[in-house]
Amino acid sequence: MIDQVRYYYPYVSPFDPCPPMRVKSYVVPPNLFVSYQPVNLPQNTPREALKLGTLWPIFYSPYPIPGSP
Amino acid sequence: MAKELNEAFYQQLQELQEVDFVLVELNLYLDTHPNDMQALQQYNQLVQQRWQLAQEYENNYGPLMHFGHSYSRHPWQWKDAPWPWQV
Repeated sequence: MIDQVRYYYPYVSPFDPCPPMRVKSYVVPPNLFVSYQPVNLPQNTPREALKLGTLWPIFYSPYPIPGSP
Repeated sequence: MAKELNEAFYQQLQELQEVDFVLVELNLYLDTHPNDMQALQQYNQLVQQRWQLAQEYENNYGPLMHFGHSYSRHPWQWKDAPWPWQV
């Protein structure tokens, strides 16, 4: 599985008045890596699907909030 | 008159919600895969299941929709709380 959280290192000005954020992160959705959905993918149960927000496990994104526990 | 909110009420509503969500997913899937017979069968099967669940729910707790899409008993049941967004 592809790591859904990516990081980049922005330029930090020496005159930055605030404490700089040296690492920033973003989340990529898993559907970006599936061009055309294959047929007969394994499915979640209806209960899991409602909870996770998708019927197919490969499209699940936890959408983690960086820095949160 | 308020609905009696017992265990069964929440369970039926949740089952309905689950089936509805799977139907949305399959609907969107079938939009791009109209020839997938297996998914279509699953969809039609769930339509039937949804219809049964909805009917059972409405028999017990009153209409799910208004403006002529659900029946109501006497007295008029649509105004009975809780409404779906209050559950």
